[in-house]
Amino acid sequence: MRIGFLINPIAGMGGRVGLKGTDNVVEEALRRGAVPVASGRAAETLYLLRSALDHKSQEKSVEWLTCSGAMGEEALHEAGFGAISIVHEVIGTPTACDTLAATRAFIKTGVDLILFCGGDGTARDIASLTKEATPILGIPSGVKMFSGVFGVTPARTAEIFIGFLAGDLPLARVDVLDLDEERYREGEWAVRLCCSAHTPYEPTYTQSAKALIAESTDAAVKADIAEYLQEEIWARPQTLFLFGPGSSVQAVVESLGCDKTLLGVDALFAGEIVGRDLNEKGILQLLERHPSAELILSPIGAQGFVLGRGNLQISPDVIRQIGPENLTVIATPAKLKRTPVLRFDTGDRALDAELTNRRYISVVTGYRRRRLTSVMQ
Amino acid sequence: MMEEPTLYELSVPGRLGVAPPECDVPETVMPSELIRADNGLPELSQPEVVRHYLNLSQRNFGVDTGFYPLGSCTMKHNPKINEQLARLPGFAAIHPLQDDETVQGALALMHDLQEWLKEIGGFAGVSLQPAAGAQGELTALLMMRAYHAGHGEAGRNVVLIPDSAHGTNPASATMAGFIAVEVPSDRRGNVDIEAVRAACDDRLAGVMLTNPNTLGLFEERIEELVDLVHGSGGLVYGDGANMNALTGVARPGDLGIDLMHFNLHKTFATPHGGGGPGSGPVGASTTLAPYLPGPVVVSVGKREYALGAPEKTIGRMCAFHGNFGMLVRAYAYIRAHGEAGLRGNAIHAVLNANYVRVGLSDRYPVPFDRMCMHEFVCEGRPDGGSVRALDVCKRLMDFGFHPPTNYFPLIVPEALMIEPTETETKATLDAFLEAMLQIADEARDAPELLREAPHQTPVRRLDEVRAARELIVQEPKASSLGV
Repeated sequence: MRIGFLINPIAGMGGRVGLKGTDNVVEEALRRGAVPVASGRAAETLYLLRSALDHKSQEKSVEWLTCSGAMGEEALHEAGFGAISIVHEVIGTPTACDTLAATRAFIKTGVDLILFCGGDGTARDIASLTKEATPILGIPSGVKMFSGVFGVTPARTAEIFIGFLAGDLPLARVDVLDLDEERYREGEWAVRLCCSAHTPYEPTYTQSAKALIAESTDAAVKADIAEYLQEEIWARPQTLFLFGPGSSVQAVVESLGCDKTLLGVDALFAGEIVGRDLNEKGILQLLERHPSAELILSPIGAQGFVLGRGNLQISPDVIRQIGPENLTVIATPAKLKRTPVLRFDTGDRALDAELTNRRYISVVTGYRRRRLTSVMQ
Repeated sequence: MMEEPTLYELSVPGRLGVAPPECDVPETVMPSELIRADNGLPELSQPEVVRHYLNLSQRNFGVDTGFYPLGSCTMKHNPKINEQLARLPGFAAIHPLQDDETVQGALALMHDLQEWLKEIGGFAGVSLQPAAGAQGELTALLMMRAYHAGHGEAGRNVVLIPDSAHGTNPASATMAGFIAVEVPSDRRGNVDIEAVRAACDDRLAGVMLTNPNTLGLFEERIEELVDLVHGSGGLVYGDGANMNALTGVARPGDLGIDLMHFNLHKTFATPHGGGGPGSGPVGASTTLAPYLPGPVVVSVGKREYALGAPEKTIGRMCAFHGNFGMLVRAYAYIRAHGEAGLRGNAIHAVLNANYVRVGLSDRYPVPFDRMCMHEFVCEGRPDGGSVRALDVCKRLMDFGFHPPTNYFPLIVPEALMIEPTETETKATLDAFLEAMLQIADEARDAPELLREAPHQTPVRRLDEVRAARELIVQEPKASSLGV
């Protein structure tokens, strides 16, 4: 199997020195005494991979494509891997341009998976080129890792990789998030859904007391949520349904046999799509015609923002028009596990207070299943 | 140990296990389209068949062969006298369609068992119908639904379920037509009462509570919780799976529980886990008892019994009278122990669990480290190391112990759920502790030993993902093996 491998050697350096990220501030990080962390974390994964592959006498089953020096070559050599081809020469200090160039080379040569070590920035750069064509898997080493492509730890990433090699793991479509570090440093969340990517999904196979419970994939859970909402939607033909961004919401609309824009707000009435990628004005116009409405949203994983991030077209005016009680939040249990609290930041304090004063929101997590999730006040 | 071949692999054409007697009735020609040239049956001698099955049986692990601390399953000893009693012809050879007059003994037994379970649970009525714990859950939820509908509140369709609950709870709620809403646990392992408060409205049908919960912890604010739910018009269902901690000590009905199922196959020592069917009688408060499934046994005179249906019954949950053989065993168990004995069993179950908890907690982190009830949950990552709960479990098999329940409850990472029960001696518990502590040392010094375990079992570690994905449930025909 052909694997593209790259390390973003500066990833994570800003974290410990309080820079909330390393994009464009690597010199400042160095000045503050930051030390590289990515190579150590990559080495941990590679060492475990190496011993697992040796154990199965499968070392030769992986053909590595990588970048020269600290962006991959050195770590692979140190871990004792043999079959390595350099597809991108790094000149000077590695930058995002090197990540992009290496990814292009991986795609051109044709790899089965890109394994990278970095954070959200690295994931964003790689996924912006691979889209959903080439699966990617991240060894977590960034300051922030809100995208769904990372293993929980370097060791866990190695396990996922082995599972992928063995053909045991299905691919899941996950969100890759783009965070504006400049604004984030100012204390502001500025996150938008950048794109979707495919990643090997490690199912939780649980051996219970009485039987082995078959794993359910992310896609299967989304299908369950979709089936449940489908019943609710069909039962209310006179209600306008507005669907927010994200792949979970997209799955619901697709289950109704309609197309949904991944990042936009789309509207459905009486089984027909009546608006695509709507802006605030477009939504308000629809609400004038159809006063009875329901808004279906999914929070941004980990951060928990339901409103105010990536869906600003759903303005305070829109929410008041719909009524805060007509908001359905959906999330897979796996996503909710990473998202302990939900947040609202509509820009309208009174409305935020109204949305959060219930303290708990009943989030749809499966077919006729919900979970009470606390709301940050 | 050698692998046991399948019967098809052992098969030799022409070999016979039994010689049927000469046919003493006129032969009839079978229609040709019904005759198969190859019926695919293995051909073996009688001793080969006997040895094959005996060999397989000796590889089985049960509570009769070793310590079985499977959390939430209450794998206690199943007294053998109960088996003898269940096999008495007066119980084993009767038919449920016999006239009531001819089965008065069986009815008397069912009646007394109903009465005893009422007393043990603090309930006004009990039905022995449900044939398993999960069916007991479904029964109680259907009663809940009927109750609300009968009070003009059919719109109550939300059932709250703590995130530590058995997985059957949300499944039962969904099957009964409710929306299952999961409630988070708080830092002490109790139900987050504020979350319950937030969900208390006119859509609330009720809450499903397991007490002690699956972390083995007593719900510390149960009375407040019950009042809260009752105050908003909801009902409280108790999952009786963990009743072994409370029997003879506290009565769920006294705590305000409206409905509860008992697991006779856990608390009352009837065999389970491959050894027998379950039995999940449901108890109900005065308000809910009229909705119990029928038939129930009623006393119609001095030592005279008949079958009757409660006034607003939800109907039958299974054919005839539940798993009757299990009712006989549970009856015998309760009679043998009596009130003081049952109480003593619960106290000893709690004592044993705490003994093991304290013995392990230095090496296996216990996330909610307070006095436990009949079981406790620790993390199967000794000293926070790299081995997983599954590795610890597989290694335990090398020591001759059945692994604890693992990866459940879901709210504890790498969970090991350990329930020793009251029927184990201190020596057995000490041997288990010694094995677990040795495994913790191995996890530190030789983790590979754990990752590759078990080493001493007939079959080494199985690929569970592959087993789940590539199911082969049919024996290949003898002919396809070329024999």
